[in-house]
Amino acid sequence: MLLGTLIYGFVNSCLLALLAMGFNLTFGISGVANFSYGAIYIFSGFAAWIFLNSAGLPYALCVIMAIGLSATLGVLIYHVVIKRVKGLALSEVMATFGLGLAIMELFRYFDFVGFKYTLPNLIEGSVAIGDVYIDYQRIAVILAAIALTGFIYVFTHYTRTGLAFRAIAQDERTALTFGMDSDHIAALSMGFGSALAAAAAVVVLPLGTIAVEGGYDVLLNALAVCIVGGLGSTVGILVASVLIGYAQTITANYLEPHWMMLVSLIAIAIVLCIKPSGIFGHQKELEERI
Amino acid sequence: MEPILSVKNLMVFFENALALNDFTMETGEGQITGIIGPNSAGKTTLMNTLSGLIIDMRIKERRRGGERITVYGQITYRGEDITEMTPVNRVKRGIVLCRERHPIFPESNVLENLRIAGYLKKRSRIKKIVNQAFDLFPALIHLKNRKAGFLSGGEQQMLAIGMALVAEPRLLLLDEPLLGLSPMMQQLLVEAIKVLISESVLTVMIAEQFARPVLPIINFGYILENGMLALSGTGKELMDNPEVKSAYFGV
Repeated sequence: MLLGTLIYGFVNSCLLALLAMGFNLTFGISGVANFSYGAIYIFSGFAAWIFLNSAGLPYALCVIMAIGLSATLGVLIYHVVIKRVKGLALSEVMATFGLGLAIMELFRYFDFVGFKYTLPNLIEGSVAIGDVYIDYQRIAVILAAIALTGFIYVFTHYTRTGLAFRAIAQDERTALTFGMDSDHIAALSMGFGSALAAAAAVVVLPLGTIAVEGGYDVLLNALAVCIVGGLGSTVGILVASVLIGYAQTITANYLEPHWMMLVSLIAIAIVLCIKPSGIFGHQKELEERI
Repeated sequence: MEPILSVKNLMVFFENALALNDFTMETGEGQITGIIGPNSAGKTTLMNTLSGLIIDMRIKERRRGGERITVYGQITYRGEDITEMTPVNRVKRGIVLCRERHPIFPESNVLENLRIAGYLKKRSRIKKIVNQAFDLFPALIHLKNRKAGFLSGGEQQMLAIGMALVAEPRLLLLDEPLLGLSPMMQQLLVEAIKVLISESVLTVMIAEQFARPVLPIINFGYILENGMLALSGTGKELMDNPEVKSAYFGV
């Protein structure tokens, strides 16, 4: 039981980190509120399913196409919706959240409900660690989380575009004086964030079914991880994922499984009461100094 | 000599308020021009209009139904009309603005700030110019890994000018570079600007309310008051002008 909790808690932590990664890149790092994140996640799941089952394409191609399509959708959402309300934080949140609701409920309206909506595992089978069995798909979740975290860190610290994401979020006008185009960069960050959501979807969704409700859970979990860890901090995301991940697994194993969802809500509440900028939120640190 | 930048009858309105009224000026290659004036004289508006920031502000204000910004007149840079050009394209042509009040990225460290400034440059080139910036301001070298928000005002201003240099300007616009700095730091920055001019082909415009350190180094200066040109002349002429003396030197 203890070894199982340790291993599955770790898997759950990686899963949360994976889900939060795209949200953190768009909202936390480059400051574009994308509350249709959960909808994009579900959208890419259904897109991959349709490519696989209705068009009969090979699975690898379906995955690539789903990621590409989601990135395009993200860029499109920026240009059609967010651009018009840019700079008005509350309107950005409301517009994208509303759009997310519309996308998800449209899937429900067109009857995308049921157990047939599943994605295949990347590799079938499982491996035993001690007396705990863990399937290869969950190992894929761990590997994907590690790979994407590394990618995000390198991307935001060492590439031109990644540095521009962070620059624009800190001071848009100054960024303009160095030749950055704020609309171009924000659209790119929506595209990247959506592609990350899609990547998380094709790795995580084979563990269950693709359900519209999943979109709400993903947004809630991503938000919880980002708030607890501190917006924009990659280290914070990892620490928060581990904290919430283990808290959820321990709750599920030793208390009641259906209390699991409460853990993220309680975590958000506690952090907002004690340290509103999150465990690794650095904005606060600077403000206090100045 | 053909002027590198010429401004003709420039007028800028924020709603119905006139921020810059019928302003005309020009500057030649390699010159240092001073724009001197008190707060709210229109210095920052002029700098924002020359760098194109005002074009971006106008788009964003219009999008969210905010303030109506209107620009009349003509700005010519190297024979090209740039009045309606976006800031990005102006930076590509070498017009780089260093905004007022230490425009740095507080949550990134010093080295990252300099690399961000090289957004339009090639990777190998950035390395070289960043080193040049460190040569000009050696005080920044050992602060390389510190978050820029933790630097002192003077250090932030050095960094800000260093960042503007990384963008490789041909026309460098400095908006109140001396604001909020100690007299010693002001002198250090003025010396650095002198070094810059002597070492490369660079045209500089300095908007400043501290006339004392600036007037001795400029070739030509314009004195702005309430958005209007009050006086213009060479640095020497302005320094000897009795009105300037009483207003800016307290003599």
